[in-house]
Amino acid sequence: RSFASQTDGESRLVRVLQEKFPRASAIKVVDISGGCGAMYEIHIESEEFREKRTVQQHQMVNQALSEEIKHMHGLRIFTSAPK
Amino acid sequence: GGGAEGGGGSGSREAVERLVREHPVVVFMKGSPAQPLCGFSNAVVQILRLHGVEDYRAHDVLQDPDLRQGIKDYSNWPTIPQVYLNGEFVGGCDILLQMHQNGDLVEELKKLGIRSALLDAEKDQEKK
Repeated sequence: RSFASQTDGESRLVRVLQEKFPRASAIKVVDISGGCGAMYEIHIESEEFREKRTVQQHQMVNQALSEEIKHMHGLRIFTSAPK
Repeated sequence: GGGAEGGGGSGSREAVERLVREHPVVVFMKGSPAQPLCGFSNAVVQILRLHGVEDYRAHDVLQDPDLRQGIKDYSNWPTIPQVYLNGEFVGGCDILLQMHQNGDLVEELKKLGIRSALLDAEKDQEKK
């Protein structure tokens, strides 16, 4: 998807993630519900994920977005530590 | 549910604990393996099928709102499907897919005494 602008939902989630993961080297949020804010794909690369199991990394994202997740139908999370 | 916390409701910690320990492979999903009602739940079913895992416990959370909430509280994970191997929460569809792609799922199944069908598929490939 190469639309020029972000949805409000995407921007808000990026801001929350930047706040909660200050050491993140890359953050990308994509609304995969056609702009309805119902489902998102979250990609985040951060030193904070190093040496943690994937499920733990995802839990950290769940915690960071716990308020926002309440209003979502679903989300996909892809985490990694910088190479 | 109507505030029936603890006390043995189907979504209580005790009830969920019993379910996740019922079988080496337990899945909480929407719909059933024969008829998944969500793309992500379907992905879990298909991945397990690829590995030849057809004997497992699947619980349809759409049939039980207390269980639907209880399983999320138990794992502190907000979404369905949820996959448990040997009573331990492993993750949802994205994590299972990653484990499938990087070979971890074959290893985890081996620890449960389950031989992945993909190991035999590879053997067939080598013969050609």
